[in-house]
Amino acid sequence: MKAFLLDDIDQLRDHLASQRSLFTPQYTEGSTELNWLPLTSKTKSVTTERPLLPTYPAKQFFFPDREILFQFDGSDFKETLPEPEPQILFGVRSCDLCAIAYQDRFFRQDPYYQARRRATLLVGIDCNMPCEGGFCPTVDAGPFVRDGLADLVCHQQQDASWLLMVHTPAGEALIQGLELKAAESHHITRRNKQEQQVAARFPSATHIETGIQRINQAQVPAETWQAMGLQCLTCSGCTNLCPTCSCFTSYDRPVADGFERERCWDSCLYDAFQREASGHNPSATAGQRVERFWFHKFSNEYTKTFDRYGCTGCGRCEKTCPGVIGVHSVMKRISATL
Amino acid sequence: MDTASHNISKITSSICPYCGVGCGIGLRVEQGRITGVEPLANHPVSQGKLCTKGWSTAFAVDPIDRITTPLIKENDTFRPASWDEAYQVITEAFSTAIAEKGADALGIIACARATNEDCYAAQKFARAALGTNNVDHCARICHSPSVAGLRQTLGSGAMTNSIDDIEKADLIVIFGCDPTENHSILGGRIIRAKLAGTKLLVVDPRLTRLARMADLHLQLQLGTNIALINGLLQIIFANGWEATEFLSNRCENEEALRAKVAKYPPERVAAITGVPEEKLIAAARMYTEAECALLTYGMGITQYTTGTNNVISISNLALVAGQIGREGTGINPLRGQNNVQGACDMGALPNVFPGYQEVAAPASREKFAASWQQKLPECKGLTSLGMTKGALSGDVRCMLIMGEDPVVTDPDQHHVQQALAALDLLVVVELVMTETAAMADVILPAAAFSEKAGTFTNCERRVQLIQPAIPAPGEAKPDWQILGGLASRLGYNGMNWESAEAIFNEIAALSPLYQGMSYPKLAANYGLQWPCNEAAPNGTPLLHSKQFSRGKGRLIPVSHADPAEMPDEEYPLFFTTTRLHFHYGCGSMTRKSPLLERETPSGVLFINPADAQALAIRPQTRVRISSRRGEVETRTVITDEVPPGTVAMPYHFKEAPSNRLTNNAQDPVTKMPELKACAVRVTNLEDGTK
Ligand code: SF4
Ligand code: SF4
Repeated sequence: MKAFLLDDIDQLRDHLASQRSLFTPQYTEGSTELNWLPLTSKTKSVTTERPLLPTYPAKQFFFPDREILFQFDGSDFKETLPEPEPQILFGVRSCDLCAIAYQDRFFRQDPYYQARRRATLLVGIDCNMPCEGGFCPTVDAGPFVRDGLADLVCHQQQDASWLLMVHTPAGEALIQGLELKAAESHHITRRNKQEQQVAARFPSATHIETGIQRINQAQVPAETWQAMGLQCLTCSGCTNLCPTCSCFTSYDRPVADGFERERCWDSCLYDAFQREASGHNPSATAGQRVERFWFHKFSNEYTKTFDRYGCTGCGRCEKTCPGVIGVHSVMKRISATL
Repeated sequence: MDTASHNISKITSSICPYCGVGCGIGLRVEQGRITGVEPLANHPVSQGKLCTKGWSTAFAVDPIDRITTPLIKENDTFRPASWDEAYQVITEAFSTAIAEKGADALGIIACARATNEDCYAAQKFARAALGTNNVDHCARICHSPSVAGLRQTLGSGAMTNSIDDIEKADLIVIFGCDPTENHSILGGRIIRAKLAGTKLLVVDPRLTRLARMADLHLQLQLGTNIALINGLLQIIFANGWEATEFLSNRCENEEALRAKVAKYPPERVAAITGVPEEKLIAAARMYTEAECALLTYGMGITQYTTGTNNVISISNLALVAGQIGREGTGINPLRGQNNVQGACDMGALPNVFPGYQEVAAPASREKFAASWQQKLPECKGLTSLGMTKGALSGDVRCMLIMGEDPVVTDPDQHHVQQALAALDLLVVVELVMTETAAMADVILPAAAFSEKAGTFTNCERRVQLIQPAIPAPGEAKPDWQILGGLASRLGYNGMNWESAEAIFNEIAALSPLYQGMSYPKLAANYGLQWPCNEAAPNGTPLLHSKQFSRGKGRLIPVSHADPAEMPDEEYPLFFTTTRLHFHYGCGSMTRKSPLLERETPSGVLFINPADAQALAIRPQTRVRISSRRGEVETRTVITDEVPPGTVAMPYHFKEAPSNRLTNNAQDPVTKMPELKACAVRVTNLEDGTK
């Protein structure tokens, strides 16, 4: 891995933006909402202040909320594979990068996802403080970017200057033309130490650890799931904002002379998600659906396929769940039973 | 949708277009289309959350079946027309009707989904351009009894407290609604409060989600709210649990109320309501002992012939217990549509100008006549049901309906269809082809909430700004522009505003409630709660803290009365209408989402296991439901959510319109139809075949 020293991260950002269109988390105009938006002349300098995480993870860049799969005009089918422009996502946090790697596996065979993914280079950024509600160290997803999950990784050092790590040839090509001083091995060592210090600043997550154990040992009583199921308002917010959730449904929309098949994000919390035509539903109760969701996030059954849990510790579900059954609430309830 | 790439170009902060909670929603725009929504993390009401309807907003505004040009009906089909042509047809018909029968032969129905600016324009159009007070909107079928009842007792019909107060209460009392279904984000805050230790008391014939979580559930018989509340008041007075000081300092007419409720001892009330005496006593104790008890209610209170009296008795209860005028207390009606509060505030009602200034008062007429530079009609106008009646009798000749679908949502569907068919001219301003629009002679294409600027007022009186995320498709434009153009054709030039903001400034100048507000101030504060004026420049989260809007709070004795139609031998079951969490109003927006559409089968009858067994009904059995007015066929869902003896049906589905069954018996004060109770017979259509 090559590494360089960098004084001005904005300069790097501008350099990258001159080569491809660049998206980065920033405040939506006139508000204090952090969203993924294109870089414009109004975009402010990169900051390392809170909030660290934008409302959405980066998944909608590869797996959009809605997308047309093909069109039928009455006689012929037309393929609608995307032909995206080359782009850069700048400032992706470690948890969201872990989730991209997770979805890369899930969608390995999906040409729509892969077309977008191949057109995209990722620039990660290390988190130097815990974000609100986050617990990435507990699920091995941060706070610093894992090797190989981004093309470039930026790390702010204690003196406020930056360390720039290059993980891929594409990343190296991107920084061609910038005059950068090579970093030394002590910079890297210091970064590793720094990660331990940041991780130590996260609030206790024993409820998460205990909860994971209980889920894997099938120790959670059905009544606990039922009680939490009663609180699920089936809003779909958790699955929409979860960086690893990937379920979709497809349907046909009539257009002149034919139809187009579109797919959109689905949610396993919906009653009809798994309802069969006969009316039979293997997950008929809200409690069973809530249980299934958390099983998918924390069961060891899936780690073989994905090399990690389906939860990357971003805490978005806790913030968006109107029924107070986001990850912290659920894991506290689970670890308190018995 | 462009398939080449998905590039977010911007996010526009807006307000969810569905319910009165008014959650903050960011509209994500890609390639000139709204492809998704982002909840606003810092919004004071929704705090980064949305319900399933809010999350589905991108589908609702899908341009795929939008009406994009004016349409004129010829030989039973619609053909595209220019704005000029459409205006011409309307102007001619309106002018003829005025010449022959006077301006009261015209009627305007505004929309509780439209912006304040659109609603203001609608009532100004009726009053100043046409010269009639025949202007109304659909609050009639959800909350007009709140306005009528609370105006008599408190002087203001709005929610007295704020949504934030849910977490400041020690006890939350929920009458006749389940906020987790219809106002989910507010309902979620009740769940959060409950988990943090707040007590929950639910009064509802149905075993709702919150009833299952409640500390105490009073599962009363349909239509017995007044008896129940009078019973609680009798217990409170008999035990000396009333708020003595509050009653003597801030209320009037206590003796008359005492005399009335004395006739409702627990034995009698238990017999009428079916709620055991101990539970009545426990509830009375809970409510009076709580330091701060916040009461909220919904359509289970208002959609009765006794709707106004139901609201009055709720008010009696809160006043006697002194649970009002402080943080964490109050009387909090939950509004259905996103801007039903605003539509009322704007005077889209037959009897009041903007800001509830009475049409009957010469001073307010003079004030508006001077500002609008037009002589204004004096006599009170017709309600929406009055207009449909007038259409049948020939007194009303032309109507203009903005974005409402009375053919699906009004009681007694046949009556509405006949009435609209009898008009000389029906104009509908709409986004998509609804059942009502299909009956129109002229359809005018409206801009969606995502395509225009304006304000919505949520149930806690918070006036919030929306802004255009994308341009309106084709020739569609905001309702206020459509009406302004029509007003000019009719010779009235007082509606040629340059922008929605100019209308808002006019509203602020004429309505004391909105006086201190402006677009920049709203933008800077995530909205402001009215009244907002010199005395309260940052708005008013809490009403009635020192005194009531009318001075003293008025206690008004009311009596129990059975619903207009009770079950009998021929029609042995009670029938009630409900709303489903996944759908909204007539469904013209929510049903565009494949997820929401999939979630609920078309038309469902909810029936208790006991009744189902008696009729040999199993899940998904095909049944016929008949009432004295009509019949509907659908399939069953067996659930203990409805009590034995009562069946329920949602009203969102045109395939199984529940309003073919419901009674149009009306509340005598507000003409609110009794949608919540009538008598039906259920016939099992599969009996014997399986
Ligand atoms: S965010 Fe909460 S309420 Fe919404 S679907 Fe998920 S678990 Fe249910
Ligand atoms: S609670 Fe109401 S305002 Fe909030 S997201 Fe749901 S429908 Fe929209």
